[in-house]
Amino acid sequence: MFHKAKTSARWAQPQPLSLGGLRRKSILIAVWSMALLAPMQLKGAVLSEGPPRAQQANDSVLLVLAAASLADVLPRIGDEWERLGGTPLVFSFDATSRLAVQASQSGSGDVFFSADPQWIQWLEEQGTVSPGSAIHFAANDLVIAVSRDISVPVQPDMLSGFERIALAGENVPAGKYARTALEQAGVWSELEGHIVRGGSVRGALEWIARNEVPAGIVYRTDAEAEPSVRIAFVFEGPGYPQAQYWGVPLGSTVYEKSAVDFVNFVLGESGQPFLREAGFSAPQSDILDEEEERYAAGDTGDDLVASVSSAVRLSLIVAFLATLVGLVPAIGIGWLLARRDFPGKTVLSTVVTAPLVMPPVVTGFLLLSVLGAATPLGGLIASLGFPIPFTILGASIAALVVGLPLYVISVRGAFEAVDPMYEELSWTLGSSPWSTFFRVSLPLALPGIAAGAVLAFARSLGEFGATVVLAGNVEGSTRTIALAVYTLLESPSGREAVWVLVGASAVISLIALLGFEALSRRQKRRLDDRHAR
Amino acid sequence: MPADTNFCLGLDLEIPFTGGGLRVELNTASTRIAVVGPSGAGKSTILRILAGVERRARGTVLVKEHCWQDSSNETWVPSWDRRVGWAPQETLLFPHLTVRENLSYGGALPDWVSETAALLQIEDLLGRRPRRLSGGERQRVALGRALLSKPRLLLLDEPFSALDRPLRAELSQLVSDWALDRSVPIVLVSHDEEDAKWLAEERWHLGGGSLRKE
Repeated sequence: MFHKAKTSARWAQPQPLSLGGLRRKSILIAVWSMALLAPMQLKGAVLSEGPPRAQQANDSVLLVLAAASLADVLPRIGDEWERLGGTPLVFSFDATSRLAVQASQSGSGDVFFSADPQWIQWLEEQGTVSPGSAIHFAANDLVIAVSRDISVPVQPDMLSGFERIALAGENVPAGKYARTALEQAGVWSELEGHIVRGGSVRGALEWIARNEVPAGIVYRTDAEAEPSVRIAFVFEGPGYPQAQYWGVPLGSTVYEKSAVDFVNFVLGESGQPFLREAGFSAPQSDILDEEEERYAAGDTGDDLVASVSSAVRLSLIVAFLATLVGLVPAIGIGWLLARRDFPGKTVLSTVVTAPLVMPPVVTGFLLLSVLGAATPLGGLIASLGFPIPFTILGASIAALVVGLPLYVISVRGAFEAVDPMYEELSWTLGSSPWSTFFRVSLPLALPGIAAGAVLAFARSLGEFGATVVLAGNVEGSTRTIALAVYTLLESPSGREAVWVLVGASAVISLIALLGFEALSRRQKRRLDDRHAR
Repeated sequence: MPADTNFCLGLDLEIPFTGGGLRVELNTASTRIAVVGPSGAGKSTILRILAGVERRARGTVLVKEHCWQDSSNETWVPSWDRRVGWAPQETLLFPHLTVRENLSYGGALPDWVSETAALLQIEDLLGRRPRRLSGGERQRVALGRALLSKPRLLLLDEPFSALDRPLRAELSQLVSDWALDRSVPIVLVSHDEEDAKWLAEERWHLGGGSLRKE
């Protein structure tokens, strides 16, 4: 009717990619609902208190929790802020709803940018922010975004002609606003069966951009930034909701002045042009002239290269650390399981192997329950100067624990492949079991152990769920390849970078698996002592 | 422990074994014993018990003046303190080591290794890996490794099965002389009448769940 037959045919059958995407989203929702409960720590206890500006030299940073729809514009404003000498910023973007709960539960973070005043109110009720300290700094319209293929105008009452319509999650502001808008237009009830929910508004937009879903309700700013979609209708006028963006310093901040300054910076003359450029509308009390000088949106190519290389480098470091630290435990446990019978063997085997079959998110959650900054053990480690959540250490621990099952299974297999009679012979030749281990068992199992290390390395490299829960998604510290892909998928400008990362990830994984195969063959050959007959 | 000064080997063992278990009673002053009997009777198991790598048997193991096992008081001498020269039927050579490294595994000095290798006619093979050896060569290396471990007792399990006749006789003679020179008792497991003739003065038959002197 209002889209090409080709598109329609495409949507007549279920598509695996789309289903995969849906599942991924629901997993991510689970990830973050776990993460909400997490104690969150970015800055070590080593940072002393004092005037924020004076601390710049002391590695102080502001952790900015911000609505996903600000993911493109806020870093640009942040660059300007830093250029002018502001305290360095670290961003964590996600749906407002998740961030609000996260900020409240974790008692961490310095500034919060919400896409919904209701969450600010909620945080005030929780005592997480001071009443009256929030500032309304921008607004955003909701639009009907459609695939580029669809060139005809689309009114709300024509939406029921689409097989599916993408909305943000029902609890995130964009999803709630979209429902209100559709209710206001009087079409909600007839559309309900067509709705598919992305986790965040960016997730919904991604589906439209990929032509997985022909149309959806998203923010104007996101639709404008995404070249593969077209804005077909803007929900403007009385009764239609507008996303209201509010910024507020969090009660947990020790850099209160910097936090207040940054919120004012975004509200003020410095921040507004960026917001306008990105398609946000002025706050209702806005006194700025909308025709004020506009900033040209800078080319973000360098940023993408930087974030891609940061993610790849970080992944390699994390995977390497996890593999190295896991070597001795993997050999020890693998040998015990292969060669010894002892009470609790089944328990040990089960505990070590569990992360292989448990959802990594659950593993991450359990790790957080033991190692989070609010726990006795995690607190102790943090007080020694090694905070775990939101640090590279946390990412490495998550990677280690998730990689260990494959490690141990491989090592155990390598030891089991060694005929115990070699060890017995070594004993009769006067070598103690300890000496026999190093002279016979270990050398004979070595290629298999190396294969296990390679496999654990590859698994660590791909780790997502446990990492995102234990270590969060902080660029430069914990945003490994998997997390970077996840993050970039939420941002329309990240498409090219995603492909680079996907390529890098595939290449590294393939090399690792080829290495595993080669080492496994070598293990077999090493134990073959009757080759030439 | 028997007071007989000529005592060499005493076994009094209950061995869990397929088909009801084995009852092994052996008491001898002979230093050259052959254990014969049908395949699967448990001959190799007796050698494994003597080598200290099979712990499921209950009872006593006495070798000369040494008590290696006494289940009544939990005495157990571990393999690495027994010093037995064990050449198992499987002739397992450490596959990651060369022939020379296999021979000197028990701590033998290089000269001694070379000398023994010459006796066993494997001196040309010293630099090779086990996978490049024939079955007969492997057996001679395994035998050499056992001899070079300064054993108190030699446990030979079908030691010459892969060798042809003339070499077999020659090596049997050689091992026999070697053991006599050093007063090292031999327990031989073999199907072969010739081997037993060269190396054993007493034959014990294992079958039907028990061990009897022939």
